[in-house]
Amino acid sequence: MRNFTYLQPENLKQAAKALEKNEAMVMGGGTDLLDLLKMDIAAPEQVLNLKSAGDAELRTIEEKDDKLRIGGLVTLAELAADDRLRRSYTVLQEAAAAAATPQLRNAGTLGGNLCQRPRCWYFRDPEFSCLRKGGDTCFAIDGRNKFHCVVGGGPCYIVHPSDTAVALLALGAEVRVRKGGKTRSVPIGEFFVLPEVDPQRETILGDGEFVVGVEVPAPGRDTRSSYTKFKFREGWDFAVVSVALVMDKAGGIVRGGTVALGGVAPVPWLDAGGSAALAGIGGQDRRLDAFAGALLAGAEPMTENEFKVPLTRNLAKRALVELLDR
Amino acid sequence: MSGTRFIRDQRFFEEDNASYVAEVPVEDAPALETSEGKFLGKSVERYDGYHKVSGTALYTIDRQLKHALAARALRSPHPHAKIKKIDSSKAEALEGVMAVLHHGNAPDIPWHRDSKLFDTHLRYAGDEVALVVASTADVATEALNLVHVEYEVLPHETRTMEAMDDRAPELHDEGRLQGGEPATYARGEVEPALESADAVVSRSFTTATCVHNPTEPHNSVVFWDDDRLTVYDSTQGVFAMRNTLAEKLQIPASSIRVICPAMGGGFGCKLELSKHTVMAALAARQLGRPVSVVLDRREMNLAVGNRPNSIQHLRAAGTRDGQLTALVTDSYGMVGAYPSNAWMNWPLVVMYQCPNVSVTHRNVYSNLGPGRAFRAPGFPQGTFALDQVIDELAEALGIDTLELCQRNMATASQASGTPYTSKKLAECYERGAEAIGWSTRRNREPGSGAGPRKRGIGMASQVWGGGGGPPAGVTVMIQRDGSVQVVSGTQDIGTGTFTILQQTVAEALEIPLESISVRVGDTDGAPYGPLSGGSQTAPSMTPAAWSAGLELKQALLQGVAAGAEVPLESLSYADGEVRGTEQNWSLAEAMQVMREQTLVRTGLRAANAEGKIICSFGAQFVEVEVDTETGRIDVLRVVAAHDIGRVLNRRLLENQFEGGIMQGIGMALMEERVVDDVEGKVLSANLLDYRMPVMANTPEIEVIIPENIDTVANNLGVKGVGEPPIIPTAGAIANAVYNATGVRMTELPMTPDRVLMALLGAEEVSR
Repeated sequence: MRNFTYLQPENLKQAAKALEKNEAMVMGGGTDLLDLLKMDIAAPEQVLNLKSAGDAELRTIEEKDDKLRIGGLVTLAELAADDRLRRSYTVLQEAAAAAATPQLRNAGTLGGNLCQRPRCWYFRDPEFSCLRKGGDTCFAIDGRNKFHCVVGGGPCYIVHPSDTAVALLALGAEVRVRKGGKTRSVPIGEFFVLPEVDPQRETILGDGEFVVGVEVPAPGRDTRSSYTKFKFREGWDFAVVSVALVMDKAGGIVRGGTVALGGVAPVPWLDAGGSAALAGIGGQDRRLDAFAGALLAGAEPMTENEFKVPLTRNLAKRALVELLDR
Repeated sequence: MSGTRFIRDQRFFEEDNASYVAEVPVEDAPALETSEGKFLGKSVERYDGYHKVSGTALYTIDRQLKHALAARALRSPHPHAKIKKIDSSKAEALEGVMAVLHHGNAPDIPWHRDSKLFDTHLRYAGDEVALVVASTADVATEALNLVHVEYEVLPHETRTMEAMDDRAPELHDEGRLQGGEPATYARGEVEPALESADAVVSRSFTTATCVHNPTEPHNSVVFWDDDRLTVYDSTQGVFAMRNTLAEKLQIPASSIRVICPAMGGGFGCKLELSKHTVMAALAARQLGRPVSVVLDRREMNLAVGNRPNSIQHLRAAGTRDGQLTALVTDSYGMVGAYPSNAWMNWPLVVMYQCPNVSVTHRNVYSNLGPGRAFRAPGFPQGTFALDQVIDELAEALGIDTLELCQRNMATASQASGTPYTSKKLAECYERGAEAIGWSTRRNREPGSGAGPRKRGIGMASQVWGGGGGPPAGVTVMIQRDGSVQVVSGTQDIGTGTFTILQQTVAEALEIPLESISVRVGDTDGAPYGPLSGGSQTAPSMTPAAWSAGLELKQALLQGVAAGAEVPLESLSYADGEVRGTEQNWSLAEAMQVMREQTLVRTGLRAANAEGKIICSFGAQFVEVEVDTETGRIDVLRVVAAHDIGRVLNRRLLENQFEGGIMQGIGMALMEERVVDDVEGKVLSANLLDYRMPVMANTPEIEVIIPENIDTVANNLGVKGVGEPPIIPTAGAIANAVYNATGVRMTELPMTPDRVLMALLGAEEVSR
């Protein structure tokens, strides 16, 4: 770990100002940043501890104007325990509860969860100078790629590690990004960056920009949602594949909905084919195989991750059946 | 003591037959025949339990010594390279850095077969290059980046089969195979047996390299006092460590004290001295200050051993009447960059009665961290393959697997013809099968269960040595106030040595546990204790403690007779008292009447019975649920029925079983060292990518122990229990998966991707 200057702004205004002047890394819970620092993957001159800012908007969950506003410093544990989420934004509550471990959920924040770096073992190993770290090779192509992406890859083949981002994508959330005195809203689908655009970054955040929260449109009364996460180990593991399902149901029939996938792409993946195939399912109509088959269109598995395609389809099918009964 | 003699004891230890010359008593103490003593057999609390739970137990790194420095090793980033030049001047210039030791400035100390402590030939990514010593570990870590090393990068090979190829680099003068050639074993004639059999099955298996990853990393705290060296070390053998250190440092063993009072796990990786300890000792001598060195999790995964991988091609043959007639294997295992042992064929050689056996095995060198003994070295991976072909053969012969195992139980060692001291495997099979519901709950047709989540039941058998033996000594001292101290050069690696020695002495002297203190894990002033490996600690040490206790009883009687001037024949010993016709003496009173300050006896472990072999046996029965849509395997229940001799402490025994079975589940379902063969580097050198089981993976575990006080084996009838629990677990799980799905998993670990693809593949074939 290299030495760095530790910035502790008292409020958002000071934080925004400090970030405009410095190339500081922003810290929420620090659960990912500490790893990056210790492994010399990140070596910032300054670290800005956003938690020192006292602003309430960073820490509250608020229902207002048909929207749910969640502060960037709300912890995953708080999201997992929130009754409003459990009732109406189930997919997000389940995603937060499925992340990491109780200890990490107590420390980890929503903002940090969206901005965490990928878990690719080449990226995380300081001895590999990979594309994402400014090198000229993606080692996963000829190397070990069981946990890498099956869609959206190239020239780098990471998967995005966040659970909450996948849920928020299915809910059509917007990320609130601040720079200086201004805050703008970015649809979460546009917040993440594919490697073909820039293999060295996962988000659109530019100099001086940081996440202050998210806004989630309130779902309708007939909306049901769920998050299904498949891990290789039951506790403390990232998603090998995850399925966020949000759908409107009337009379037991799906009117329409959204499927977002985790663990399959370098960004949280909105599956257009699968989403389109949802409408009409229910009652006598059990076109589950057609729905499953529509998922991950154009998938190009690597040498060791072919299993992700049938796994995703089986999980999604199971999630849909369970949600039809909810 | 009745006098001693010297004998040669030949017994199985860890990976192979070993021979020991040992001083043993001419006559052993009378055996304890009862199965339930006053203390032995009881689930008494751990001697060190309070300290472990409260945090007051002192582990190696808790020895925070004044003026201590911290050291870290610089390791090769290349899988194969030569050091051309080292420039440590920048590192040395960093504030707080005290020294950088490397091949250019440190003594030349031989290591492994043809290499050195500081070698210029680096054979794997993680091989030690230099040692940086600084005021703190943080400074030392920072300085690692400042040591400039110029490497000549050499071609590498990390794949087992390719590493035998002529194009692969030769890492040692003996060639690409350890020992220069394959290791073989044969009895009978396999070819005619294969030809005349009613069924022959043939299958190939691979198992992944697994890493021990104990909770406590390797660490040492060392200091010199004049020419005396003290080493606190997380080790499985204080005496072995002391003797190897003496050899490496060329100083008398009597000048070295090794201490390991508490330990957070070893599982075999702490059986041998590691380079970092010797380097720290050199640095401490040079700088005149204590030096501590702690390996981080990455180093733990690269450089201090592993269970080698295996590639096994098996054939098994049998006849319709249920006779196993031939077993053949052709096997490979990667020992890594330096000598270790990847042999996994003992179960095949000795588990079942089989007249015709042929084994060819190759220990292959490669550019990866070398293996080390790992809980029952070779046996878990060997059993995984063997018991799957037994299961398959049974099916081919139309015989129930359990019945095939029962019909082919060996009555004597299949390797030597020597009879066992005892064998209660038949009872293990019977009671284990009963507990799991073998005859009623198993799928008659594998894979016939309804729905996507399919359940199945499987089994596998276990054989292991673990009889222990001499040389081993335990000293017991009664102090003037009647309190008792037990001292031995064995150690407690977390398994309960403190507790079972306390229980044994309490049993022998019939005194409360609280009056007995125990000191192990310290070479100073202690009689020799062997390595805590090979399941040999309990069966070596407790019989010696029993002897010491009984000898003290006799001494007390003689002492009181002399001190109180009463006839010896009028005295007896009961309930912790010397009893006379008119008066009784407590231990304190006895000591005072004989005007002794301390009464001391050292019990020596007696010789093992001649012409007999001590083995533990067992079988595990496992129920699994396989999610055929995700490939996920859940182990629901494990019934472990094992003959391990006397139960010294039921609770400690269950701890051993739970730990071993969980480690077996890890090996079966998730543990895997992942290597990028192109770059020659380990990708899983942390506890996120190297997955180990968590609480959620824990099944219901039932432990069944047939009563067996094997006093032919030793005076307490004890066999070791450290290793048996892990041996059959992976094999039993694989057979259960077959019973659940009808698909055989031949590759470990059985991760969901492998299971799912195997199920889809099987579906494709059947279409």
